[in-house]
Amino acid sequence: MSDHDHKPAPMVDEVSDFEILEMAVRELAIEKGLFSAEDHRVWTEYVHTLGPLPAARMVAKAWLDPEYKKLCDTDGVEASKAVGVNWVTSPPTQFGTPSDYCNLRVLVDTPTVKHVVVCTLCSCYPRPILGQSPEWYRTPNYRRRLVRWPRQVLAEFGLQLPSDVEIRVGDSNQKTRYFVMPVRPEGTEGWNEDQLTEIVTRDCLIGVAVPKPGVTSNAKRPVIKAIHPVHHGH
Amino acid sequence: MSSSTREEVLRHLQTVGYLQPALHKQTHAPAPNAIDHTLWRAYTRPVHDIGGEADVPIQFEEKEEEQWELNTFATCECLAWRGVWNAEERRRRQNVDVGQTQYLGLPYYGRWLLTAARILVDKQYVTLTELINKLDEVKKRHEQNTAR
Amino acid sequence: MATGIGDPQCFKGKAGASKFKEGDRVRVKDLPDIFYTRTMTYTRGAVGTVTKLVYESPAAEDEAWDNTDNPEWFYSVVFKQKELWPEYPDLYANDTVETEFPERYLESA
Repeated sequence: MSDHDHKPAPMVDEVSDFEILEMAVRELAIEKGLFSAEDHRVWTEYVHTLGPLPAARMVAKAWLDPEYKKLCDTDGVEASKAVGVNWVTSPPTQFGTPSDYCNLRVLVDTPTVKHVVVCTLCSCYPRPILGQSPEWYRTPNYRRRLVRWPRQVLAEFGLQLPSDVEIRVGDSNQKTRYFVMPVRPEGTEGWNEDQLTEIVTRDCLIGVAVPKPGVTSNAKRPVIKAIHPVHHGH
Repeated sequence: MSSSTREEVLRHLQTVGYLQPALHKQTHAPAPNAIDHTLWRAYTRPVHDIGGEADVPIQFEEKEEEQWELNTFATCECLAWRGVWNAEERRRRQNVDVGQTQYLGLPYYGRWLLTAARILVDKQYVTLTELINKLDEVKKRHEQNTAR
Repeated sequence: MATGIGDPQCFKGKAGASKFKEGDRVRVKDLPDIFYTRTMTYTRGAVGTVTKLVYESPAAEDEAWDNTDNPEWFYSVVFKQKELWPEYPDLYANDTVETEFPERYLESA
């Protein structure tokens, strides 16, 4: 615990207990034929292709096309196809991902309803269209507080909303995965799909931020460094 | 056993004492009449069910992903893909069966990983002996590689 | 059409008639929560409104032990924050939480 008098352990070439267990489990599973090394490789490659961009593009498309917006509202899985995400055939299984289910619901904001997403029970997240969830989304803190003190939590994210706006928290507790379609901001008149896509950040899609012209990245937060970070091949 | 093993053993015995249970009451195998319905429910609750619990504001952070975390995610999904478990069984094991101390004490993917190891043993795909031997082998293999 | 493990599409048409419809007022039952549930404690005993019949699926309580024999209807239900948390400020009386339940947890309110 408080070993202040100890020198920090040398980090170079240090292998953690997590890494040892990870190698052991993967090697045993492959040796026992539970899955193949190739399965693992293609799944990892699939994960490398994921990120929030397709969802951002869905929002931009919907802002430009009322018919497409209706489709997003009624059938998120079908609407995902327009941005190249097929919930059934994009994952290497060809039958969807085991953990995300083929069941996307786009929560469409209006001037008087602002959605924000949490999974109080774990951290369910629409990975096929948003990629891996951010660390803060997984914290017990966010999960404990958002369903009860949403205005305080949103204020901590820099989002303060007037009392005539209903905040609707979506608790992603079962088999539906959510992302938020925010209202198109003023100052984007005449913008094309690419320009609009740029301002729909991951945080906007979770609902803890709203898009603003000129803002194309998430609010700056401290980043916990990895000891052996994932190297993205591209 | 080397003296460093003994040092680790003694440090461990001290560390586990710091892992406080959630309820600040006498908690060491109390008599049955000390457990009323409220305490029963608190102790037996699925520990992932934390929505609405009080907490103070914290600094929200981003995190770089460790390679082992991505590998773990892929392993867990491959196990489901090939029918070893379904996602709900995985969630039950890693978010509830682990118990409160591990649930709050380990990193997110640390619980995924521990659970992936556990399912291999529980469903008798490997014996615990095989897992222990593999862990020992991986550790030694790595030590040799670093020594070179 | 999804045929993956656990995908709701796999259970389509297998739950029979649904007990509730959109707009119904429902109360969340406080069934014993031993071992596993995905019906959060904070919703139990609260009254909300069904917004959507979302899909048919086995309940998590069964699926978590790989039992998919009894699919049932799932409902999305919206609650006023004020209904869940008595201390929620009146100024924000419109604020809500929406989440899903298997039919077994709901009764008419």
